[in-house]
Amino acid sequence: MATKMNFGDRLFLIGVYAALLVLVLSMMLPLLQVVTISLSPPKVVNSYGFHLFPTVLDFSGYAKVLRYDAIWTAYGNTVLRTLLGTAITLLLTFLGAYPLSKKRLPHRKFWTGFVVLTMFFSGGMIPTYLLVKGLGLMNTIWALVLPSAISVFLLLIVRNFMIALPESLEESAKIDGANDVFILFRIVLPLSLPIIATVGLYTAVWHWNAWFDSMIYIQEESKQVLQLILRRILLEGQDVSVETSASMQAAVSTETVKMAALVVSVLPIMCVYPFLQKYFVKGTLIGSVKG
Amino acid sequence: MKTTTKRMAALLACIMLVTLLAACAGNNNAPESGNAGNTDGAAGQTNNGDNAAVEEPEEPVVLEWLGYDSYAEPDADSAVVQMVEEKFNAEFDFWYVDAQKWDDNLNVKLAAGEMPDVLKIPNRQNIAKYVDQGILAPIPKEKFEELAPTYTAFIDENYPEAWDGVMFNGEIYAIPTTNLNGSYPTVVIWRQDWLDNVGIAKVPETLEEYEEALYKFRNDDPDGNGQKDTYGLSDFALPNILGAFGYPGISDFKQAAKGDPSKSLQFTEKDGQLVFAAVQPEMKEALAVLQQWYADGIIDPEFLTSENTTGYWADSQAFYNGKIGLTGMGMFYHWRHELDPSLPDDVGGGQYKAFMDAQPDGELAFGVPAVGPEGKSGTPQWDTTSHPVAITTKAAEDPRKLDTVLQMVEAAVTDYEYYLSVTSGEEGVDWKLDGDTFVNLSAADSVADQNKKGKNVLSVKVSYDEYLKKKDPFIYAFGDKYANINGYTSMFVPTVEVFEKNSSALNKLTIETYLKIITGESPVDAFDAYTEQFMRIGGTEVEEAVNAAYDELMGR
Repeated sequence: MATKMNFGDRLFLIGVYAALLVLVLSMMLPLLQVVTISLSPPKVVNSYGFHLFPTVLDFSGYAKVLRYDAIWTAYGNTVLRTLLGTAITLLLTFLGAYPLSKKRLPHRKFWTGFVVLTMFFSGGMIPTYLLVKGLGLMNTIWALVLPSAISVFLLLIVRNFMIALPESLEESAKIDGANDVFILFRIVLPLSLPIIATVGLYTAVWHWNAWFDSMIYIQEESKQVLQLILRRILLEGQDVSVETSASMQAAVSTETVKMAALVVSVLPIMCVYPFLQKYFVKGTLIGSVKG
Repeated sequence: MKTTTKRMAALLACIMLVTLLAACAGNNNAPESGNAGNTDGAAGQTNNGDNAAVEEPEEPVVLEWLGYDSYAEPDADSAVVQMVEEKFNAEFDFWYVDAQKWDDNLNVKLAAGEMPDVLKIPNRQNIAKYVDQGILAPIPKEKFEELAPTYTAFIDENYPEAWDGVMFNGEIYAIPTTNLNGSYPTVVIWRQDWLDNVGIAKVPETLEEYEEALYKFRNDDPDGNGQKDTYGLSDFALPNILGAFGYPGISDFKQAAKGDPSKSLQFTEKDGQLVFAAVQPEMKEALAVLQQWYADGIIDPEFLTSENTTGYWADSQAFYNGKIGLTGMGMFYHWRHELDPSLPDDVGGGQYKAFMDAQPDGELAFGVPAVGPEGKSGTPQWDTTSHPVAITTKAAEDPRKLDTVLQMVEAAVTDYEYYLSVTSGEEGVDWKLDGDTFVNLSAADSVADQNKKGKNVLSVKVSYDEYLKKKDPFIYAFGDKYANINGYTSMFVPTVEVFEKNSSALNKLTIETYLKIITGESPVDAFDAYTEQFMRIGGTEVEEAVNAAYDELMGR
């Protein structure tokens, strides 16, 4: 522990803290604005200037959002999709990357090339749609988790990570009498935890944020994901065309309601994230090969 | 015993099938009995009089329905849907396509070979494409006259241009729908208290009077706070100023900048030819005026990002916050400042209320569009037609489907209570009739809530003027009084393919040039280069195609 800091060190620290403070502010201020608007009546929302702290409290936005069933069912769908999707992706990516990382796999170059090819050439939206439809996945959660089950990019990352694992570990396990499955789950898996955590994080975030596939493949509102419902609420009333067809001005959600919906859907993940983050940081440290 | 029952059942089924076929055939040949799907009673007698299974009800006709503005998935069990299903012996299988991503979403399905039976077409330019792709089935005019005579007469008399909008290659491809609001120009809203403060007694009418008032708004401290923090106008009133010179080249700066070509690529008629309004020489004069105003600080510099900074599109935060004194863009009902005496808790139009919330001492006045040097004036008007509803080729295989849809259309213009049900929800729950007065019991429903309850889902987008005015007499009387101003009607343009191909590039060029000239980044003379480039990169091609199609349509 350093007990004394010279002037240069102090200056450096001040600089670092200042930079971090700016960074924090740049993230906190928009968030504060959203929270404040969700608590303010339209009169305040329409006034100019920053809305960092609520001046007049109005909970009508939350009252309306909490009564909005679609948000809650969509919440469940998103959580389910994220858990299921991440689990499938992790399993398949891990099982797919391992053989590709082994030199003794016959035609390894060909298989790798075969997989990589799909990274550059995809069928496009309509063929994918036809495929999903043909497989009978339409309007089910599988349409959301299966087409995206393996990301070639993540697969390659895991494969490269596994290639870097020392061959000798495996050999010594073999000598001790371990079979391939045992080696995979007792030797390779623990060593690969950091990369698995990374892949899991990527995938989970991707699933949490995805909405386009839900819009295309899911018909029933009770199966839609949160982001799609949110998007619909947020964009309400921004376009004239609503009224060129409806006979008279329709009641649209106010900004207060929209921001309340936003807060409600963001808050849980914000509460959970700091605790998850701890594991992600840990995950990248534990299990790494030492020496 | 069991086998006998089975045989009986099979026999019965056969009889029913035969009856069904007979009824369908009957529909084709003898249209008077087209009410086969109707439970009104007459159907059974005319069709099945000499048949064995007289009392057997016909199978309900199943319609895959996308003939509505889909803001939420309709609840098939809602009272409205049930009522309609029963009335027309139909069954609705609702399609849901995200309203904000309509084309993206629907095109995938169409390309994959799926189609609904009934389909709303938000972008009329798509009709040509859909016909080419074999998605739309033509509807003979005779069918309209036979099954929806009242509606057909209504369109013929009041909105004949609506037919043109659904024609392609000389055939009708969709049920035209109308929009009464399109016959009212968008409004001109002044700060009356500001006009008083700067000593102007009369609401400005000519461009000179506008200029005087707007300059005083900037320079004479109309809000009396001792600071020079007010402007004349922002982006919502710009089309009004353009209109003083001719057909406004851009009818909505914000939406055009966001990439909506229908706001900048409007047509106007000159010497019997359809021409793009945005490239007409009178727009150059208008831009010169606006450039001067911008340089003098009359136009709020933030007009580039619009005076609508958040929320509902007709909201003008700049106007609410006392930054500008002239706005527009909305309809009369947005800014309605007279309260309906029959509604005790009426607060006026939504934007009027927001304004009064923000400026309790403020006062607004409805104005008239600026009259330019050559006597021209007007604000943009909305399209008088709305999104048409089409029948797909899949639905055309069963003639009962089209018949049912047309009967639904006819019912919505002949039966007031039916009309109220399909547009406003369940009687007694969502609305009631107090004598002749319509009382909305669910006015707070958002568009999504409305869809869920089945409101505006099965109305086939019919918007019947007589019933609209009967339903909201006060509001339309207000509109007749205050929105009785000059407007530039949205010119009908036949659908041509080249237009769709070029529209986004032309829109981008137009909005960029207009903004650059107004802000002084480009000189006014840049307009000539713009015109030349506009015509070169597609303008000429589109104009020629549109005129050819127009002449053909008009039978010239």
